[in-house]
This record gives sequence, structure tokens and C-alpha cells, in this order.
Amino acid sequence: MDELLQFAITGVTVGMVYSLIALGFVLIWKSSGVANLALGQLVLLSSWFTYGMLVQAGLPLWLGFPLVILFSLALGWMIERFILRPLIAQPILSLITVTLGVAYFIEGAVSFIWPKSVAALPRIFPQEVVRIGTAVVSQEYLWAAAISLVLFILLSLYFKYNKMGVVMRATADDQLAIQACGIPVTKIFSRSWMLACMLAAIGGILMSSIGGITFGLAETGLKAFSVVILGGLDSFLGAILAGPIIGLAESLGGGYLTPLTWPGIREVIPFIIIIIVMFVKPYGLFGEPRIERI
Amino acid sequence: MLKLNNVEVAYLNAIRVLHGVSLNVEEGSVVAILGANGAGKSTTLKAISGLLHVEEGEVTDGNIEWNGKRIDGKSAEEIGKLGIIQALEGRRVFEHLTTEENLLVGAYQRSDRRAVKEDLDMVYGYFPLLKDRRHNTAGYLSGGEQQMLVIGRAMMATPKLMMLDEPSLGLAPRLVEEIYHIIERFNIEHKTSVLLVEQNVRIALSIAQYGYVMENGRVVLDGTADFLKNNEDVKEFYIGLSAMGKKKSYREVKHYKRRKRWL
Repeated sequence: MDELLQFAITGVTVGMVYSLIALGFVLIWKSSGVANLALGQLVLLSSWFTYGMLVQAGLPLWLGFPLVILFSLALGWMIERFILRPLIAQPILSLITVTLGVAYFIEGAVSFIWPKSVAALPRIFPQEVVRIGTAVVSQEYLWAAAISLVLFILLSLYFKYNKMGVVMRATADDQLAIQACGIPVTKIFSRSWMLACMLAAIGGILMSSIGGITFGLAETGLKAFSVVILGGLDSFLGAILAGPIIGLAESLGGGYLTPLTWPGIREVIPFIIIIIVMFVKPYGLFGEPRIERI
Repeated sequence: MLKLNNVEVAYLNAIRVLHGVSLNVEEGSVVAILGANGAGKSTTLKAISGLLHVEEGEVTDGNIEWNGKRIDGKSAEEIGKLGIIQALEGRRVFEHLTTEENLLVGAYQRSDRRAVKEDLDMVYGYFPLLKDRRHNTAGYLSGGEQQMLVIGRAMMATPKLMMLDEPSLGLAPRLVEEIYHIIERFNIEHKTSVLLVEQNVRIALSIAQYGYVMENGRVVLDGTADFLKNNEDVKEFYIGLSAMGKKKSYREVKHYKRRKRWL
């Protein structure tokens, strides 16, 4: 019973970080229809960049973090401006494939610049553990959950009330009509890539403050992918709710099944969930079925 | 105000769809482009609004002037800023947004919030139905409401020239009359020029002062609305009346006479 609570708390909190990263995917998917397959690599790159800023350059936190955020925004801007924009009006498959190219490029660049395979960030959050009932949780998890929650709220307010946010949702529905209104779609694509990269960077910092920086961080992208598929590709709410579910399944499954089966089962669980979801609800739990008037 | 001189348009550098179209829209007037499917009416509008690039189309010859300055080659965004706003064919609302959000997207370029709020009320004044549906998801509105929404969205941009692509498409005659009545009112009350593309010649000429008939990418006939309404060919081929003003019976028309060649 003690374990259960422990697994549940770590699972849900890590899951919330997955949600955060997944939101970046949904954002780009909704506004431009491009599936960003470089998600995990963006997480990886920004984690290593954080390492570079905080450890290698020895910058203090208050300077390091804003720089990481700026870097991620610039990265998102550049990817959109120089890689995706020239491909506008090309078949969507080319656009998706080019993100795969970006993914491999980033992975290569990262292992070139930071040949070490593991590193640790300096401790960002207070060290004392927190006891919740019988569970002992280190503070990183709770901070990660809290920061994710705040970002969820800010983002949903942005999409509901901010002019740019509303236009981003409109672009998801009809790009040509957006242009007919005289609104530059490229600006919207660029904004959504910047936001997505920023979310990936924050997710990366949170993940690596929990588990250290490894090349395994690139797989967070795949986890976020399963979150997106479970929640529905085009649903922000879906991504937010599906994250904890995937995190929970991963942590409970990993905790209870590993002794029974084989190590590494936890990595498989999210994908088993994807397959089941695709059979039962192809749009995902909260995906918007296309609105068709009859 | 808007002037097209011998505009030629080709898609993918290969398929020529407009072969030298010239037309003129005076300030505050309503001008209609009429013609059958595939005549190049929508392409003409897209050439003006800068949306051709999206479909790999290009103005290959001739020029488009707005108040004396050339605007062909400008992006849709720049043209939108000049005050030329197009409402696309086929009721393209933002389905997952509410009615009100749809209207606000139309006002994206404007920064004066108070004026936007006033214009929102103005659009609701023209289309009271939309006011009742303001918080409904646009994708679930009826066809007529969606068409009203698309026109309302164009109004929200405070256009100097509003281009409407087949606002009557797929709507009941009574709704068509209503929508055209509102377009006419908007034109009179706001002095906004309107460039209409229509297949429904009778209704278009009821509010337009001038019309152009297009066929196969060319303007084949143009004149004032009264001239066109009384033109035998227009009557016969587009309004469906014979020379005597009676309903036409197709049984009496010899097959080879059915279609007139204009050129």
C-alpha cells in the first residue's frame, strides 16, 4: 500500500511534465497540421543547453534560466523560419519528414557538443524530502507538478482570451480563410513553434532536474507522443489529462510488473496504451471529431 | 479605386486560367462578376486578394492597381492591410470557434478595442441571428448563419473593398434575398465598395450598379446593371428567359443553338 501512493505521486507528477511537452506538439499540430517528430530532441537539446549555461558557464540560476528560455524561443523561430517555411505548400509528408531530419540533426549536434553521455544539473529545488501520508517524495516532483499546472492555466487563458491565441485556434480550422482575413499565417506558425520549443525547454529542465541529463531524454518525446495520441492529437485538454494517465501507468506498471516480468517493461507500457486507444477511440480520448453538418 | 488591366493568371506556370481580364471598381459602388462555373471568377478575386500564391498561381501579365498603386505581387497580408478583404466561397467559418470569436478574428489587424467592440455590435445589428448564436460553436450553425458569419467577419475588418465569393451558394432563395439586402445596406451606410462574384445573376444585378460577364477566363460582356438585365444574351443564357420574357422551354431550343459562342 505504501508503494502504491509513492508510485502514484511520482507517476502523476512526471506525467504532468509529459503533458507540458505534449502541449507543444498539439500546438504545432493544431496551427499548421505538422506533426513535430523532433519533440524529444528539443527536450534533449534544451536540457544540455541548461547544463551548458549553469554548469559549464557557471551562470547563476536567475541568469541561466531566462537564457535557456530565450534560446528555446530563438530555436523555435529558426526552425520555423529556415526549415519549415520554405516548405509551405509542399505535401504535408515532406513537412513531417523534415522534422525527423531536424530530430536527427539535433541529436547529432548534441552528442558532438556534449560527448559525455550523462550529466547532472545543479540542484534547483530545495533538497528536503516531503512526506505525503506514507510516501516520501523528493521536492523536484512537486515543483514539476506545480510549474506544469501553472503553465497549463496560463496557456488555456492565452488560447481563450488572447487575440493571438484565438487566431492560433482559428488557423487550426482554416488556414486559407485566415489569409483571406489578411492575417499572416507564417507569423502564427512561427509563434507556435516558439511556444512549443519553450514548453520543451521547461519540460526538459524539469525532467532533468528529476532524473539527470541522459540521452534517454530524447525518449521523453516518444512518451509525449503517446500522451498526445491518448488525449487526441488536437486537444489541449486531452494532452493535459492524458499525461498523468500515461505517467501513472508507467510508474505503476514499472513498479509492480518489473519483478514479475522483465526490466524495461515500463518503457513499453505507454505504447501498449497507444495501441489499445487506437483500437477503441481513434480520435483519442478528447480528440475533436471533424464537425460535419448534414 | 480598384483597376485590373489585362490580368493574366497561370497556375503552376503552366495552366493559364485568366486571359487578360480588365475591370474597374469605383469607390462606394457594387460591382458584380458573373458567369458559369470555371469561368475564372474566383481566380480573379484571388488575384486581387493575393491568395493565388497559396495555390501556386501567379499573375503573369497585366497589372492590378489600387488607388493608382500596383498591388499585384503583394502578399495577402499586405493587401488585407490596404483594406481589401475577401470572404471565401463556401462558408468557411472557423468551425471550432464560437460565433463571436470568429468575428473577432476578422478584426485581428485592428488595435483599437473600443472600435472593435462597436463594430461587433454593428455586425450584430445587421445580423440579429448571429447575436442569438454568439456563444455557439460556428461549425454547428446553419448554412445561412454561417454565410452571415463569413460576411460579418469580413465587415469586422472595416474593409474599403469587400469581395464576396458567391454568397448565395446553396442557400434558400429567401435567405439569399435577406443576405443581399444586408450587403446593400452595408454598402450604402458605410460607403464600402463591394465586388461580388455570383452565378445567381438576377440577385446580383439587383444590387450591383455594374457587371462583368466572364467566360473561359475572359470578360465577354460588361455594362451597367440595367444594360445587362435587358441584354438578350444575358437573359437567355444566365437568367433563363427567352426574348419574349417568358419562361424558356428547353424542348423548343435546338441543340446547336443552346450555347452561344462569344468569341
